[in-house]
Amino acid sequence: MSKKLGFVSLLVLLFCLAAAPWLAADAPKLIIGAIYVGSVNDYGYNRSFHDALLTVEKSLPGVKLLEAENVPESAEAERVMEGMIQQGAKLIFATSFGHQEPAFNVAKRHPDVYFEHAGGWMMAPNFGNYFGNTQAAWYPMGVAAGKMTKTNKLGFVIGIPIGFAVGNVNAFELGARSVNPNATTTVVVTGGWSDKAKEAAAANALLDQGCDVLAMHVDSPATVIQTAEARGAMSIGFQSIEARVLAPKGWITGLGFNWAPYFTEIAKSVIAGTFKPSSTHLGLGEGMVVMAPFGPSVPPSVRSIVTEAADRIAKGFNPFTGPITDNTGVVQIKAGESWGGDKMGDFKWYVQGVIGKVQ
Amino acid sequence: MSAPLALGVLAGAVLSGTSLLYATLGETIVERGGIVNLGLEGILLVGASVGFALAASTGSAWLGLVGAALAGGLANLLFGWLVVSRKANQLASGLAMMFFGIGVSALVGGPFVGAVIKGLPKWRPSFLAALPWVKATTLFNYDILIWLAVPVALLVWWALFKTRWGLGLRAVGESPAAAFAAGRDPSVIQYQGLFAGGVLGGLAGAHLSLSLTLTWAEGMTAGRGFIAIALVIFSKWHPLRAIVGALVFGGAEALQLELQARGADVSPFLLDMIPYVLTLLVLLAWGGARRLAAPAGLGRTFYGSD
Amino acid sequence: MSGDRRSAARRIPPAVLNAGRYGGIVIIVLAVFGGILLAAGKNPIKAYADTFTYTLANAYGFSELLVRMTPILLTAVAVAIPSRLGLINVGGEGQFYLGAWLASAGALGFPHLPAWVLLPILTLLGFIGGALWAAIPGILRARKLVNETISTLLLNYVAPLIVSYFIFGPWRSPESSAYPQSPAFPATARLPSFFNTRIHAGLLIALAALLLYWFLMEKTRWGLQMRSIGGNQEASQRLGIPVAAWIVIALAIGGGMAGLAGMGEVSGIHGRLRQGLSPGYGFTGFLISWLAGGRPLGILFMAFVFAIITSAGDILQITQGLPYSVINILLALLLFVFVARRPAQRIAR
Repeated sequence: MSKKLGFVSLLVLLFCLAAAPWLAADAPKLIIGAIYVGSVNDYGYNRSFHDALLTVEKSLPGVKLLEAENVPESAEAERVMEGMIQQGAKLIFATSFGHQEPAFNVAKRHPDVYFEHAGGWMMAPNFGNYFGNTQAAWYPMGVAAGKMTKTNKLGFVIGIPIGFAVGNVNAFELGARSVNPNATTTVVVTGGWSDKAKEAAAANALLDQGCDVLAMHVDSPATVIQTAEARGAMSIGFQSIEARVLAPKGWITGLGFNWAPYFTEIAKSVIAGTFKPSSTHLGLGEGMVVMAPFGPSVPPSVRSIVTEAADRIAKGFNPFTGPITDNTGVVQIKAGESWGGDKMGDFKWYVQGVIGKVQ
Repeated sequence: MSAPLALGVLAGAVLSGTSLLYATLGETIVERGGIVNLGLEGILLVGASVGFALAASTGSAWLGLVGAALAGGLANLLFGWLVVSRKANQLASGLAMMFFGIGVSALVGGPFVGAVIKGLPKWRPSFLAALPWVKATTLFNYDILIWLAVPVALLVWWALFKTRWGLGLRAVGESPAAAFAAGRDPSVIQYQGLFAGGVLGGLAGAHLSLSLTLTWAEGMTAGRGFIAIALVIFSKWHPLRAIVGALVFGGAEALQLELQARGADVSPFLLDMIPYVLTLLVLLAWGGARRLAAPAGLGRTFYGSD
Repeated sequence: MSGDRRSAARRIPPAVLNAGRYGGIVIIVLAVFGGILLAAGKNPIKAYADTFTYTLANAYGFSELLVRMTPILLTAVAVAIPSRLGLINVGGEGQFYLGAWLASAGALGFPHLPAWVLLPILTLLGFIGGALWAAIPGILRARKLVNETISTLLLNYVAPLIVSYFIFGPWRSPESSAYPQSPAFPATARLPSFFNTRIHAGLLIALAALLLYWFLMEKTRWGLQMRSIGGNQEASQRLGIPVAAWIVIALAIGGGMAGLAGMGEVSGIHGRLRQGLSPGYGFTGFLISWLAGGRPLGILFMAFVFAIITSAGDILQITQGLPYSVINILLALLLFVFVARRPAQRIAR
């Protein structure tokens, strides 16, 4: 019995050997490695980086892209990055917040490889970070939702209640209130950045509550948008503006990222040998954060109001200017003060009109 | 209008609980035959990924449903080959099936991540649709799997307790040696039970990808297979009690979300513990009595005539 | 004919037979998986060649093999020890997390102790955390209330929730309040690492545990006594042996081993407590222990094989574009092939 099995396995191995193709390839000028915490086909966070890197690959000659999806935010990430470096990668994009420490550790071991991390703060001669300022950009989203809602109840699904996500919700509600004083935003937390079943259940719970516009801050907006669309509600997307194809009827607008110009700049600097680490945080005004096209159901009057609000943000209007009271009545930002970009991760409270509590 | 808390939780419980119920029913059949499948999680993943892959590539969610059921059945037959024919340790084989399911589902589902599918169609009887408190929720707006959930539970109950086949399966589960001595070959009936159980497990997974979330993502079952194993015990290996159990466990998740949606200050983690702690407490409460409820031959490998 | 075969087998030393058996399994498994890769449109020869290049033929890769082996050696022993009493511990996951949690409590709570005092304390805490988590099912089983298979399985899910509760709440790191994790451990709470790699002292702990397991089971009276109790609990009870106490102790020690794995990961690799610390180490340990028949050398070998296979997952993803999870098929195949060779005999294990 085992003899037969052994013979068959030998045959299989020989067959594999015979079928092995030999590839010859030209040496690329720059090999870029990218690690993603999820799948690039998520219409969301991971897709935004993937799309940008594809643009870089197309626009710069001699650039080869290595990608690894579903890389967990743990020690495992180090191995994947090391593997890419062994394959010749000289520029690594670690795209999820939790990849920061693993990437930093790998960077220490390879001073000749350059790293760009999304959303962190660590820096080194070969390590830079970047992210888009989304909080202020949620203000015009709130304006859009506030104008389109018929029940005055907006819903927001968050993955993990980090300061940046809370800030997004706050800007959203502030924007909604600016055009609709009765608008409330209910927040539901799923506990993870990518738990599809929980996102569907969360969206359903919000819709059960009477919310007719759903927004979200999770890795992929797809599940929340599709759930809203199936129940006839409207949605505002996040992470990637491509998500609008998922809601042909209910799409209002959304936010996405355009990383391509920044990535191209970094790639060029690595090729030229002029890489300088930086902490780059740009927003709506600079084009790192972009607004999605409006859905067909949005009337022209609303479009112009929203566009005008977005322009104001782009020109520097800061919605987090005091006095701002939180939803327990405490004044969090005093009159005359305002919270700038460096404080966006510090939100531990929701503004008035938000139903929910920061865990 | 917004639904009252109880209705919202009920609505959520039905949605979450359906796949739990199918998985529990499937595992109940298998365990009544004396076999424990710890790899139920893998069966669910296989069903979810195959169902989604078929739906995405052919455009038909129905085809996906059928494919998921068949894939689940086949996977359980593979498990059956390990534990019935090769007489391997059931727990180790079950865990191996879990790994297998995780890997196969990733392989099958990988090319289809991000595909947009038309999910299973939903129906709502018109006389119910008129009621405002129904319209505000997802109540009674269900796909075929949810509508058939209770009938299938009844069918499983009937098959196990009112047919000769069920009697035979339960006899094997109690004492394979006795069944063998009575002239029945335990393995044939165990295989049949495994196939039926696998079909239900595949359907449980398919409900997640073809109806609830309309996507595929690796590991999307998030431990439902293990919850179902706990549920089988919670419902004392009885298909009708499984309905209650599935509602309770599904309701726990829905409760947490609905409470948040009303601004209550709840720790999602403490609430998430409830199903497991509840099962342990229930087991404790029965104490020794539980042992009378489990099939006596559960988990033991029957070596035949040696 | 069969007589010839049996006498031929007798002439070959058992160590070589075992090596042949394990080696044969591995070759068959590689062939079957190669077939699957081919069916998926990938190049299995290149996949295996790449795996070899980046693990065995590469200093970093080899060091990572040892890093991968460290926790699974311990979780395998966590299953093997109770199995000597006939107890089934599928709770390695939960015991791992509890060990990591309690060790983190120590790391965060005693920042002023010197390393040579703190690290042994953390090791003890890791052991206690896992031991307590396994003692609960132990007591339930000893009192004949709940089967330990079920209770250890259920507690697997409660433990990570406890960890999550703490890192979102009382232990939330203020510096990165943007992200749920505990503050970074002080340097005194970090297990030292060697050779400028990530191999850390946890490996020594794991090897010591394996050695201790072998010694206890093969060379002491307790080990032999455990096996006889495991063979027939009622008879042992009637002979006056406190079976209940044995059950609790065996499960507790097993759980403690898994807890040590948790402590090692959190102190040697991560340097803080966070979510998702275990990608299934507890279940992997169960499979390893079972495939090895509870034998210490077998555990070492199987852990090594599992480490190579999981390393292959990374390579496959980068060079072949396969999802990392596909490697789980290979792990499952190991068991399938092992089981397929011949039906388990009643006396086996």
